[in-house]
Amino acid sequence: MSVADDLRPGAVRTLGRRLGERWRGRELLYQLVRKELKVRYRNSTLGFLWSMLTPALMTVVFTIIFTQIVPIEVGGPFAAFFLAGYLLWQFFQNSCQGAIHSVVGNADLVKKVYLPREVLPLSHVLAQLIHLLLALLVISPYLIWARGWQVLVHLPATLLAVALLTVFTSGVAMWLAGVNVVFRDLQELFVVMFLVWFYATPVLYPLALVRAMLGSEHLLATLLQFNPMTWFVELFRTPLYGAVVEAGNGGVTSLAPAWPGVGAIAIALAFAVVTFVGGYLVFLRRARTFAKEV
Amino acid sequence: MPDRRSLGQLTGLELDPSRPAVVVDRLTESFRLYHERPTGLKERLYRLSRSSYTEFNALEDVSFTVDHGESVAVIGHNGSGKSTLLRLLARILPPDQGTVVTNGRVASLLELGAGFHGDLTGRENIYLNGAILGLSRAEIGERFDEIVDFAGIRPLLDTAVRTYSSGLYVRLGFSIAVTVDPDILLVDEVLAVGDAEFQARSLARMRRFHDEGKTILLVSHDLDAVREMCDRAIVLEKGRISFDGDVEDGVDHYRQTIAGRATLPPTPAGRRGPVTIRDAVLNDARGGSAGQVAPSDQVVVRLALQAGRAVAACSIGVQVADESGRTLYAFVSSEQGIGVGPLAPGGTATVEVRMVAPRRAGEYTVTAFIGDATDGEVLAVAPTVSPLRVAATRRAAGNLDLAASAQVVEGPSTTVVAASTLHHDTTDASHRRS
Repeated sequence: MSVADDLRPGAVRTLGRRLGERWRGRELLYQLVRKELKVRYRNSTLGFLWSMLTPALMTVVFTIIFTQIVPIEVGGPFAAFFLAGYLLWQFFQNSCQGAIHSVVGNADLVKKVYLPREVLPLSHVLAQLIHLLLALLVISPYLIWARGWQVLVHLPATLLAVALLTVFTSGVAMWLAGVNVVFRDLQELFVVMFLVWFYATPVLYPLALVRAMLGSEHLLATLLQFNPMTWFVELFRTPLYGAVVEAGNGGVTSLAPAWPGVGAIAIALAFAVVTFVGGYLVFLRRARTFAKEV
Repeated sequence: MPDRRSLGQLTGLELDPSRPAVVVDRLTESFRLYHERPTGLKERLYRLSRSSYTEFNALEDVSFTVDHGESVAVIGHNGSGKSTLLRLLARILPPDQGTVVTNGRVASLLELGAGFHGDLTGRENIYLNGAILGLSRAEIGERFDEIVDFAGIRPLLDTAVRTYSSGLYVRLGFSIAVTVDPDILLVDEVLAVGDAEFQARSLARMRRFHDEGKTILLVSHDLDAVREMCDRAIVLEKGRISFDGDVEDGVDHYRQTIAGRATLPPTPAGRRGPVTIRDAVLNDARGGSAGQVAPSDQVVVRLALQAGRAVAACSIGVQVADESGRTLYAFVSSEQGIGVGPLAPGGTATVEVRMVAPRRAGEYTVTAFIGDATDGEVLAVAPTVSPLRVAATRRAAGNLDLAASAQVVEGPSTTVVAASTLHHDTTDASHRRS
């Protein structure tokens, strides 16, 4: 295939070939991720600790509110339950927030340099991934203390959940970055969109509690299952905190950290792949004219 | 299927010597100019699909072929499509119609230091920018010292680049960019930045590329650099190729288009002006054609005009512009109370405007125009048939003739013969370039 084919309008670019090209573009991605991390902490003395401050404070605040004032039953220590979902959510939201501006904010690069444009949103996702892994490392002693050695035993499952979420997040990030170029309102909608999405994801409360209180046939319980993030959070929480299940008396109880079910993995995998492919295709379609529109 | 060797700036296939370096075939690229672009939800809801825009072709039906080792200048006015063409060749833009085929690795120098981050140090930015240009860490490592020395930033290597001067910033950008070793190099005006010394060095670097048999496409307004660097010129006018051939002819062609536009409004289109310029020639003081004159020599612009309808009074103007189209001098006869008229329909007149040639050696365009004496409206514009070429006098060295003369006011004086011939070679050389 010649460059001419590559450039002809309407030429079919196969995803696989582009992915192959991207693999060779990893050097650029690596440098951009490095830049992302360095720039963020260059001028701060506390450096990485800053990125731990938000989840730490949120955990303290939410733990006080939802254990002392409006108790939410999680079948175990609330802080551990919350952290085991919130870290994942924070990764997702921060990645998307960085990515949505990544094309519009790099107008000079996009207009003047040929580069595989996907690296712009993807570099944000990967930088956040590194944060997530470091945060997990920092938080794990607490989780082990709170939930036992089982947390460590099931580490591969935790990492699998992170990997699947990274694929999913990449798809969403590329979609946001690409669409924001032609539809700038997206970045305004983003805040409200993600706020709603946060509460629609069982981070503050276990999915089992919704089922236990409303019945598993209830519309809300059903709707929550259509939220991909529900699956990723559950998948992440099962090996890290333990599955939260209905206790039968309208309450919930938590099990020890364990391997997630194959069904849950399959659903998360399906969400991840479909979102990635969809987001990537939209991005590539949009990327053709970035240089004219940014 | 040949593999793409690298990414980023370095794109394209392995070089295949049996095919030309660049083939552009019937390329058309259009842009949309939105009248108040609807990018937000509210606007979208208001007009839905009725977003109003005009589409214009930045490039229209452009075809050309460049062979390996050719160095081609792309010249034209601002907005003629030069940069769009380079961006298409660099794959930054996809073509709307037609094809672009490049053969070999392409590196584009469209912007220096693109992607530099102010908070990162010079060292970190070298790696980042190198990656953007498609170099691997190992490749940058190999060239690191070369980059640092060429840019001359060694003492500042571990300082954030936001503290660099703008000149230093650009120098670092250029140094990284030229270490990319392409088969085809696209350069857009970036050589116009930096101080004289840096410009000379970058030109030398470009020449080396040329001598190594690389293919170069250069966009520049610096006609001197263009003539020095390139063998061939493509002149773009409103997105179309108006000339493609030898660089000297191309530069001449381009100058004529400048003269035609100068900075004056063009003759009102669509109708015949009330006055037309039938002839505008440039003569020397003796009435012969002023093919080449010395600085400060008298020249005469001789203008023959004819009225299309009855004209009460019109004034005659002359404008002199340098190679880059910058107006150096403008004269309107009405300022001296001199006008032509009244003229009956079909009536003719001949006007001579005398002036001295510029003191600086070079090639100038002289444009004659006729204006309405009362409201100053421009009725007709015409460049003189030949440009005004000013060659240096042999009496002194330098480009600028200050008409120096010497006189011994005290002490013995004598007559000496042509000691100043020593300088002739150098002055000649510099004149040919200007």
